[in-house]
Amino acid sequence: MTTILVVEDEPEIRRFLRSSLGAEGYRVVESPNARRGAIDAGTHKPDLAIVDLALPDFDGRELIRQIREWSPMPIVVLSARSQERSKIEALDAGADDYITKPFGVGELLARVRVALRHAARSPSGTVLKLGAASVDLEKRRATRDAREVHLTPIEFRLLGCLAKHLGMVVTQRQLLTEVWGPSHAAHTHYLRVYMKQLRDKLEDDPVQPRYLVTETGVGYRLLADD
Amino acid sequence: MKGYAWAVGATAACTAAGMAMRGRFDLVNIAMVYLLAVVIVALRYSRGPAIVTTALCVAAFDFLFVPPQGTFTVDDVQYLLTFAIMLAVGLIISTLMESVRSQAKAQARLEMQAETERMRSALLASISHDLRTPLAVMSGASSSLAERGERLTAAERQALAQSVFDQAREMSEQVTKVLQMTRLETGALALERDWGSLGEIAGSVLRRLADRLATHRVIVELPEDLPLVRVDSGLIEQVLANLLENAARHTPPGTVVRLRAKRERGELIVSVEDFGPGLPEADVERLFAKFQHGVSEGSKGGMGLGLSIARAIVRLHGGRAWGEQLPGGGIAFRFALPLEEQPRLPAEPAAA
Repeated sequence: MTTILVVEDEPEIRRFLRSSLGAEGYRVVESPNARRGAIDAGTHKPDLAIVDLALPDFDGRELIRQIREWSPMPIVVLSARSQERSKIEALDAGADDYITKPFGVGELLARVRVALRHAARSPSGTVLKLGAASVDLEKRRATRDAREVHLTPIEFRLLGCLAKHLGMVVTQRQLLTEVWGPSHAAHTHYLRVYMKQLRDKLEDDPVQPRYLVTETGVGYRLLADD
Repeated sequence: MKGYAWAVGATAACTAAGMAMRGRFDLVNIAMVYLLAVVIVALRYSRGPAIVTTALCVAAFDFLFVPPQGTFTVDDVQYLLTFAIMLAVGLIISTLMESVRSQAKAQARLEMQAETERMRSALLASISHDLRTPLAVMSGASSSLAERGERLTAAERQALAQSVFDQAREMSEQVTKVLQMTRLETGALALERDWGSLGEIAGSVLRRLADRLATHRVIVELPEDLPLVRVDSGLIEQVLANLLENAARHTPPGTVVRLRAKRERGELIVSVEDFGPGLPEADVERLFAKFQHGVSEGSKGGMGLGLSIARAIVRLHGGRAWGEQLPGGGIAFRFALPLEEQPRLPAEPAAA
């Protein structure tokens, strides 16, 4: 049975998470604060953790760092819309994705499913199906409507980095560091230019992309057809 | 500092005038010219420069004009009275002016406080109205579900639950806006600028608002080669969201909402145009001015706050936001962001 750890101080939100996750067949372990959360993460060995960023004892980001020291378990962060900065910091600290409060149960379950699938997935065999386009990251080949599309080495690297976290958000800093190197971590214009190039080459409507999605101010998310 | 420069300048000017008058006018009249300098400086500047002017004028008058000339000695004791009067005039006028100035300052502060207070209560009135409606729907719908649920059909239950969800979302948007407005007003909102792409921001906002814009036909017209802008992308997304929602909220379903952008004279101009009934030309700006004071309009609340937030964010970026009546009816809400020199991108070898 899949176990989900919920670290959240608001009892009403825990209640809602317990009933909606329980209804999907997940076992839910609840922690009302970060200290308890760190202990429960160790004893219950959950398959995934949902961590609220604003916890009463110490910061959710710190809890994420602690969990990351010993476990690669997927971590989904709960944050308010006004907490852009701490959301990005939580992602850079090792969280895999975030949900903005208030959220609907559909959104929550979708994030949880993607994160769990990501943890179970083997990293090989990566052919991305993006509507009419398809990209084979290993063979470095891309096609759209059965016609070859030329992608530059950087475009492939960028796609590869996003594909490693398929369905989940990757921060700008992560992308810039992995693709261009740590000294370029602040050069966000690289991303603007290269993401546009990728969309122009792969998306049907580059302005309203379906696969290469922007999380404004945070990063990007690659979605793909199953 | 400027006051002291004036003190020296005024004394020099009077001395020059006095020199020109010498022989033809009594010394008393030359003293009057110096007195004029004292009065002018005392009126314009604080007490320090006034006293310095008086001292300089007395010294110059004494040294150059009062016999014996070329010394600071005074033969006729009556000139000591002249000096004393010059000093007294300088002090009295500068003291008077000081108190007038501080009164004016206090008055301005009071007026500002009153204005802030007035805005605050208008804002609060509008907010409580905007929050009360969804709260009423939510408590009504949820109490029906909790107390009468078993008597309702599955479809009715579903509809009630959905409306609780929708209203909660709406309310959350309102709360976010109020929070943002407060931050903007108190200057607590720091811009986190980096290079942003309007196309990307537009794509993100259209995705986020897909449900709410589904009632309208949204047309996006963005040129291929739009320059990047140095902005807080999250906040500019909020501006676009507010303008698009505003357009959809106040025009009939099925009409077109058009998002456009162009580069014009060092600015990026972004427009959200609707094809609703529009407003008389004069009302469009009045609309904006009114919104700035946070007064909400009738039952479709939230609009006022949205537009004033949009304008405040754009201004924070050094840009401007305005409304325009469109020739065929409908309104265009536009904003302009200043463009900077485009950042450089290292060239990449084309071969894979």
